[in-house]
Amino acid sequence: MAIQKRFMMGNEAIARGAAEAGVRVVAGYPGTPASEIVTSHLEFPGIHVEWSVNEKVALEIALGASLAGVRALAVMKHNGTNAATDFLLHLNYTGVRGGLVLVSADDPGGNSSQNEEDTRILTHLYAHLPVLDPSSPAEAKQMTQAAYELSERTELCHVLRPVARVCHARAAIELADIPLASPQPLFTDDRSRFIMSAVVEKTAGGQMRPVVRHRWLNEKGRQLLALAEASPFNWEEEGEGKTGLVGCGIGYAYIKETEQMLVRKWPVLKLGTLPLPRQKLVEFARRMERLVVYEDTEPVVERMIKEILFEEGIQVQVLGRSSFLPGEGELSPAVILESLRELDPNLPADDARVPPLSLPLPLRTRTQCVGCAYRGLLHVLQGVVRKTKGIVTGDIGCHDMGSFPPLELQSTIYCMGSSIPMAAGLAYSGLGRPVFAIIGDSTFFHSGMLGLINAVYQGVKMVVIVCDNATTAMTGFQPHPGSPVNLRGEQVLPISVEKVVRALAAEGAPLNGDRQGPEGGAQVQTVDPYQLSEVKAALEKALTQPGVSVIIAAAPCYLLSRREEVTPFERRPVRVNEEECTGCLVCINDFGCPALQAQDGGVAIDPVTCVQCGVCADVCRVGAIS
Amino acid sequence: MKVDLVIAGVGGQGNLFASEVISRYALGNGYNVLGTETIGAAQRGGSVVSHIRIAEGMIYSPLVPMGRADLLLGLEPVEMLRHSGRLSSQGRYLLNMYKIPTVMSNMGLDHYPSDEEIEGALASLNVSGCTIPATQRAYNLGNALLANVVMLGALCAFSSFFDRQAMRETLATAATRKFQELNLTAFDEGFALACQRTHSSF
Repeated sequence: MAIQKRFMMGNEAIARGAAEAGVRVVAGYPGTPASEIVTSHLEFPGIHVEWSVNEKVALEIALGASLAGVRALAVMKHNGTNAATDFLLHLNYTGVRGGLVLVSADDPGGNSSQNEEDTRILTHLYAHLPVLDPSSPAEAKQMTQAAYELSERTELCHVLRPVARVCHARAAIELADIPLASPQPLFTDDRSRFIMSAVVEKTAGGQMRPVVRHRWLNEKGRQLLALAEASPFNWEEEGEGKTGLVGCGIGYAYIKETEQMLVRKWPVLKLGTLPLPRQKLVEFARRMERLVVYEDTEPVVERMIKEILFEEGIQVQVLGRSSFLPGEGELSPAVILESLRELDPNLPADDARVPPLSLPLPLRTRTQCVGCAYRGLLHVLQGVVRKTKGIVTGDIGCHDMGSFPPLELQSTIYCMGSSIPMAAGLAYSGLGRPVFAIIGDSTFFHSGMLGLINAVYQGVKMVVIVCDNATTAMTGFQPHPGSPVNLRGEQVLPISVEKVVRALAAEGAPLNGDRQGPEGGAQVQTVDPYQLSEVKAALEKALTQPGVSVIIAAAPCYLLSRREEVTPFERRPVRVNEEECTGCLVCINDFGCPALQAQDGGVAIDPVTCVQCGVCADVCRVGAIS
Repeated sequence: MKVDLVIAGVGGQGNLFASEVISRYALGNGYNVLGTETIGAAQRGGSVVSHIRIAEGMIYSPLVPMGRADLLLGLEPVEMLRHSGRLSSQGRYLLNMYKIPTVMSNMGLDHYPSDEEIEGALASLNVSGCTIPATQRAYNLGNALLANVVMLGALCAFSSFFDRQAMRETLATAATRKFQELNLTAFDEGFALACQRTHSSF
């Protein structure tokens, strides 16, 4: 029978691998580059798939399922792994029952992230869990399948760490059958494992349980060493010379590319596991004078190799990310080529390129979509902030593009949920300027609510704006608890952001610290962000409040609505009246809809991109757009 | 035999769909295909790049290395020029002449190159290429978003690797049923456009 193949994304290949391994519970939170790993499971019957409220919750769900003996998958991007770290640092001590795989997808180069991280440090060096680092979509699938076997054999959660280039690579992938039956779930108590607590273990001579479990984990580490030695994901290739190239994950793919380009073969050690295959490495290193380690992004393997070679007394130069190669940014064939040229100036020059451009090119920053409700909201907020010398703290989501030109509104953007607490800190500082925190709905559910609870509890004077478009728009419209539907397409009762905010805001309660005084708590207003005057009035009212004032700007995501063939606004075909346009460019400099273009001292509306939301007509101060 | 192809454009121009059709076409002809894309901000007006690598042998890197692309497809001139460093000195480009100003150039804080500057930059690449008004043609057909499909049609007139009939069939299976007719019309228009524009050397 011919092998069946399908062209798919690395993320789909990972999902396929998990499904072929019989995974039964899949949980994650959206984030580039990992999102499609979760959604790709929808095509397989009998698997519970969900977008959890955040990554920590997703990992907790996955372990819960594993303790009942079924195979589970938790999916997140590197920032999410940070959020799940507390739980990760507990489940490493208890181990798992049904195979448990954590996909922690890294984004070297930060192409779609606030930072670039190497979560191998977190998951392997810190949590001591085994990590598999795929070099291609096909290997990502094989590793996912192998991880389930290994996870059950070792009782340890296994981590798959694909980089974005593997997640988003597309290739033809071999398919196998998906098992329909899976083991009957069964839960039996084992409190000495699953009750993590500072208790004395009688059976361990009165040692504390955390020490006993830590020892268990360390012993597992020795079992893992033997498995790494036998792993099919590590191998050696013969080549010319005494400079050995060590390719970790995607680094191996770029080494092979470079070999093809230069038509030359180096000795190569391909590594896909942590811990490292110690014997293989030692044997390889003994025959070399120099090793160059290519890995994304931190010198993790490079330092582990140095440690092993030191212990073995092997004198070999080890070059890598710690000094020889760039310490930041993603690997590419160009990085490898350049480093090899530095070591060997006799390598042929790359003369295949076209001449470099002398024309300077304008940068293309991201911006809100044409028709997005947030552009008008941000425009009005900018006006109020300017007038009151306010400061805006931002969060993750579509509204974050207000921090780029032309609006340059938010002064800070960090990680999920940081906007509200940071604004509170600015308020406490005694700066004396109004503070505004702006956060999206999915982020609000993910980790924003706690900041709001704290701000209300402390009675901070600040304005919080929750942008509620009923979806996780930035990462591709994934539903969240405020959406009327879940990932599985089931209609659900949306958890109203407004009701949650009203409950958290202790609306109408006495002012904090003044039980006899006027009503405090927080004020809550809901506005339609397409109605600029409504937004302005709400902001002005909010500024008069003594404590927290929350404005919920609720309008469905335009792009998502368009997909469903509805429009979240009444269409207003607009044109620019050239005689009335004064060329003040407020509509461009303080609003910045891409459908508006500066032209001959005035403004033109591009009919191809304009979706007739008509907000620009309200932005224009002289009524020249109508 | 290998074809390394890069498609550069702006989010929302249908870069990924074009890349999907090209990949399926090559797979259907028995080639190995490996590709990748930058899609983080795809729907929000950022730049989007697809890499498609087609070969008879093994392909390792999903990224087309600098100076190795055989074909550079530009859905937008500035984005194509931004990625011109991928192009091999033996490579060729196919450009949709439809300028999408950047937010900063709209504001007058950044300069979006003039037609003359773009032409000068294209000439300085010292490779052969073809420029067509794909978006304009798609707009005339009733949907500017079909510019990517007009470009696919043009690609078949431009490069002998892509057989018009087979590519057209691949497109028909990839397109949603509702827009199938319109897609095929846009494809044929693109083919005709490029036939008029390409030089005898192609």
